[in-house]
Amino acid sequence: MVQLFNVCKAYTRDGNALEDINLKIPKGDFVYITGPSGAGKSTLLKLLFAAEKPSRGQILINGQNLTRMRSSRIPFLRRQLGVVFQDFKLIESRTIFENVSFPLEVQGKKRYEISKKVYQMLKSVGLEHKLTKRPLELSGGEQQRVAIARSLVVEPLVLLADEPTGNLDPEVTLDIMELFKSANARGTTVLLATHDRDMIHRFPRRQIGLEAGRLVEDRTP
Amino acid sequence: MRQSPFLCTAAIGTVTVALCILAFFAIVVLNVQQLTQNWSREVQVVAYLDEVPAKNRLEMLIKDAQMIDTVEGVEFISRQQALDGFRSRLGDDATLLEGLESDFLPASLRISLKEGSRNRVSVEKVVSQLKSKKLFSDFRYGQDWLDRFDSFVSLIKLSSAILGGFLLFAALFIVANTIKLTVYARRDELEIMSLVGGTSLFIKTPFLIEGALQGAVGGGFSLGFSYILFEFFLHQGLSSLLLSGGIDNIIFLPTHFQLMIIAGGIFLGFFGSLLSLRKFVRI
Repeated sequence: MVQLFNVCKAYTRDGNALEDINLKIPKGDFVYITGPSGAGKSTLLKLLFAAEKPSRGQILINGQNLTRMRSSRIPFLRRQLGVVFQDFKLIESRTIFENVSFPLEVQGKKRYEISKKVYQMLKSVGLEHKLTKRPLELSGGEQQRVAIARSLVVEPLVLLADEPTGNLDPEVTLDIMELFKSANARGTTVLLATHDRDMIHRFPRRQIGLEAGRLVEDRTP
Repeated sequence: MRQSPFLCTAAIGTVTVALCILAFFAIVVLNVQQLTQNWSREVQVVAYLDEVPAKNRLEMLIKDAQMIDTVEGVEFISRQQALDGFRSRLGDDATLLEGLESDFLPASLRISLKEGSRNRVSVEKVVSQLKSKKLFSDFRYGQDWLDRFDSFVSLIKLSSAILGGFLLFAALFIVANTIKLTVYARRDELEIMSLVGGTSLFIKTPFLIEGALQGAVGGGFSLGFSYILFEFFLHQGLSSLLLSGGIDNIIFLPTHFQLMIIAGGIFLGFFGSLLSLRKFVRI
């Protein structure tokens, strides 16, 4: 599903944020990307949803080569991906329903289809009773559940999560992890960047370790 | 508007103020142009005849003069008409003319020129063509006055172009920056639209429509405010300044200018948004 060949990324001339990364992640896999701050976890995810272009190397997602992709095709690639951030990235001026329906609107889905899917998705994250609330009226954990609902409503092939539990307390983290696990069980490939060792011990999965932009560990429990 | 009412109002307000200034400038320029057009009617060539030719020869002469492409009209002034005109100009002093022969003033052709040709170059071209007829004793066309008039019109045109250019550029700059603020306030929304797979067109279109609508509303407001201020202040100010110069009335912007102001608002709003979006939407 996700393949990286000799991928390098340099933001400045002084050094590479990522260096010579080779990686194969099969369909339906659940992978932690671990490492200390500045190891290159976020850069790796940015390359995967085409927010950045690699300085060298090739990236393939579901057989599509991102490095050769025309910029006009990038939105269509992103429609096959779900992205979750530590800071949720919700639109504060819109309701929870509008936030979750946004990716479906972008894809031009019909109104009745959007309503049905959004309601089901919010129900699956336990927020169907907060449809009309706005993000700032919710707790951090609830906001992250909305962000996850938004990323999963399009039934993505790959879910990319960048420190999704970084701002949340341990109890909420467990709830969030359950959502990722159930998405993975439905066939979505999950890549989750974290440095939360407790979480990795509690839900052991394949673990890819980065350090100073290099891949230093790739093990499956 | 619903999402950032303050910035949206600021954008409309900026377009309104910018276009109001342009509209005021256009009103002043239009009325000064009206004045110079009025003055330019004075630009004419008086060609004095040595002798009054026979009727058919005179008609031929008038026809030839009318054939010159810059000539608007030709009027024959007989000796008697010249005397009558002189007498009426003298008014109470017309008694001075008593005892004089009625033919002491020469007959002449009074040649008026088309608008756009009322300048020294065109006048001298007409004079040189008439001189070749060898029937005229003298030509009068207010040479000194014409020089001053030409300089004045050139100055008006040049200063209008420079000032108008500056105003238009300043308006575009100010409006583009205000719109940039409205787009900047919604940069998170733009980023999220892009993240969930919105195409460039999908993301930009609502902002461009919003910018164009803000511009149109601003254009409409600017016309309204300009009209109110014109009626209450500018009309009076321009009247005292320009009506003594000989024009009949002070005019507001004609319909096509009003449409241009609205179109200018739409242009400012649309391109202001487009410039800002280029900075924030990168797919």
